[in-house]
Amino acid sequence: MWIELAHFATIIALLLALLQIATPIIGVGIQRPVWIRVARQSSYVVTLLLTLASAGLVVSFLNHDFSVKYVAEHASRSLPTFYLVTALWGGHEGSLLFWAWLLSLFTTIAVWRHWSTHASSIPWILSVLGTVISGFLILVLFLSSPFERLTNPPFDGRDLNPLLQDPGMVFHPPFLYIGYVGFAIPFAFAIAALINGRITDEWILATRRWTLFSWAMLTTGIIFGAYWAYYELGWGGYWAWDPVENASFMPWLVATAFFHSVMVQERRRMFKIWNLFLIITTFALSLLGTFLVRSGVLSSVHAFASDPGRGVYILIFMAIILLFSFGLLVLRADRLRTEVQLESLFSLEAAFLFNNLFFIIAGLTVLLGTLYPLAVETLSSAKVTVGAPYYNKVFVPIMLGVLILMGLGPLLTWRGINGSRLRSSLVKPLGISVLGMAGCYLLGVGQPYAILMVGLSLFAIAAHLTDLGRGITRRMTNAKEGILTATVTLLTRNKRRYGGFVVHFGILMMAAGFVGSGLFQEEKNLIMAPGDFTAIDHWRLTFEKIVTVKGSNWEAQEAIIRVEGPRGLTMTLHPQKRDYQNQQMPTTEAAIFSGFFEDLYVVLGDAVTDNTWAFRIYRNPLVSWIWGGSGVMALGVFFSLLQGRRREVSRQ
Amino acid sequence: MQANRRLFLILTLLVVFGSLGSLIWTSFTGSLVYFHTPTEILATGASKAGQKVRIGGMVQAGSLVKEAGTQKIRFIISDGANQLPVRYDGMTPDLFREGQGVVAEGPWQPGQDFMAATILAKHSEDYIPVEMSAEGIARSKESMLRSLQ
Repeated sequence: MWIELAHFATIIALLLALLQIATPIIGVGIQRPVWIRVARQSSYVVTLLLTLASAGLVVSFLNHDFSVKYVAEHASRSLPTFYLVTALWGGHEGSLLFWAWLLSLFTTIAVWRHWSTHASSIPWILSVLGTVISGFLILVLFLSSPFERLTNPPFDGRDLNPLLQDPGMVFHPPFLYIGYVGFAIPFAFAIAALINGRITDEWILATRRWTLFSWAMLTTGIIFGAYWAYYELGWGGYWAWDPVENASFMPWLVATAFFHSVMVQERRRMFKIWNLFLIITTFALSLLGTFLVRSGVLSSVHAFASDPGRGVYILIFMAIILLFSFGLLVLRADRLRTEVQLESLFSLEAAFLFNNLFFIIAGLTVLLGTLYPLAVETLSSAKVTVGAPYYNKVFVPIMLGVLILMGLGPLLTWRGINGSRLRSSLVKPLGISVLGMAGCYLLGVGQPYAILMVGLSLFAIAAHLTDLGRGITRRMTNAKEGILTATVTLLTRNKRRYGGFVVHFGILMMAAGFVGSGLFQEEKNLIMAPGDFTAIDHWRLTFEKIVTVKGSNWEAQEAIIRVEGPRGLTMTLHPQKRDYQNQQMPTTEAAIFSGFFEDLYVVLGDAVTDNTWAFRIYRNPLVSWIWGGSGVMALGVFFSLLQGRRREVSRQ
Repeated sequence: MQANRRLFLILTLLVVFGSLGSLIWTSFTGSLVYFHTPTEILATGASKAGQKVRIGGMVQAGSLVKEAGTQKIRFIISDGANQLPVRYDGMTPDLFREGQGVVAEGPWQPGQDFMAATILAKHSEDYIPVEMSAEGIARSKESMLRSLQ
């Protein structure tokens, strides 16, 4: 019953979403606001209906209704309740419904919040978002339905892929989708501004928080994915430049460029076309990401081509959105010309320009590596993969460039800074940076990249702190405040700016993690019998025994490993090899000790003889800095989001 | 002065992004790894000596030999028509077994056993590496249908 209800709700939702596209256009055409209000009400009802539809699917999971194909394929009787709920986004069909539901929810919030403040944009926003929602609902209803029934329902389902039965994977897709879907709102505002032809900064100011929020969600989603790969896949790493990962990374890169470049438009009225281009591209890449992962094209171009319905539809849908948006941008380009010229290479504008180019090139690099194999396979039937070394080689210099800019940012001013002032403010950060690099070298760090990274990070930190210090002393002299009051007032009056600083610190922590684990990972492959011990760096591991453990839907071989670390630290690690009953699929559960400076990562392999087992042990320096850094970043974004629309206190 | 500044800016842009562009190009062409079936590599392999390649197919039933007391294995990748002997030393992925799809990556040396540096097997239901295409999908569909009956 529930699934039919869900199906029916989705059909009605599609009809109302179509109404939501048409009525605002008519309303604006004949100057009758009541038509626009109709669109508003239908967008609210669409949200209600899609909530009902998603709930219907979840209830079918909870009822173990295996006559529903989607439920039979993604759940089983022994699946824990938590995963029964989250199986909603465990496969293609449910994910798409979930996507549409999120978008309807965001549409409702956006319309409700901006109804009176952005009256002239609202009709177009309703129309644009209605189009995207209908696009997804058509896909859900006609090409990729989670509501299908099986004529011969099985007694038990096929179960959720064991690799997905992990908290990291449970939260990875929804955060990613919230990020993707969130960019639809600034995108709709941008299109509305283009259609209205009154392209001021209004759309940027209105959507600042939407962009930041979506960016933070996307970041969190990507990090959850990396975390999952690290804890669940058992190969000792967290990022493999896999097309699925790249799909989410591309919109992230362009969105990052976008909210840096937006500041230039706010302050200097420059980059207007560029910003519109960036937000359209960000949303297009979000759609591309969904398409790449959810169409099956990555698994095989041929399998995809033999069942083309879904993929061709998504391609056409994307083509329409892209042609329309970029076409509109080209049409309006003449109204967007700016008279402001870049005045100096040593100005914030120029720094942001370089920042943008770096991020765009990073995005193009990923795009090339992700799409080239698909193109080759389509055109010539040869199959090719682009190896991780490509990305690593290109991303290291880009990361260094971005770090230099991050350090220069707080030192530069709008319109340019004169040479002597720049030199004097460079002294301290550069000095600290050089001292740090020398220290590293003396401590025996031989990797030039690592030394350079330390230097640039210190430079960036020192530059940010110098700026903060300057702000505080200025308040102390001008407003005659104590140091504490001065600091607090400064921070709370410029939440956006200093939130950005915190985000930068988070990024630096993550960069340290990438470099540490990327350059200094130690790996050891060996075979041990109970009683054997081994050492990796200053860790001593003793393999005690193998035991059998059982979970609700799996059984595992578990190695008991006693570990003695530095400073008298002792613990026991339990790496497992699991077998899930309903899927003929063993999985590896790595045992991981996460310390502040390094992780110890132990993987249990197959039995080599009756009494010996294979092990793989990694020492991964600074991995927890990646997770910690992402937390710091989230805090920074949160702090930044607290700032309302009020103009910031001027910098100088 | 203004003209000079513009020139300076453009030159800087050219230098920075020109070098990045050439870096992208060289590392891109250097990182491409082509995928072949045993039939393809045996037919055209002479020209690929020393190149890193990926060989994909099924682990032929009955071909997997483990060297006692070590992690060294030998097996045969088969695409139905042709077979290629492979050697590997290390931990195999969870889904590596006889009769299953597999991809082995390593340097191609014509006339010798293929020394795999890396072995890949299917990594999740929703996403399978490019190479695991037709056969792998047919197989997973089959096993899915079996489990549904």
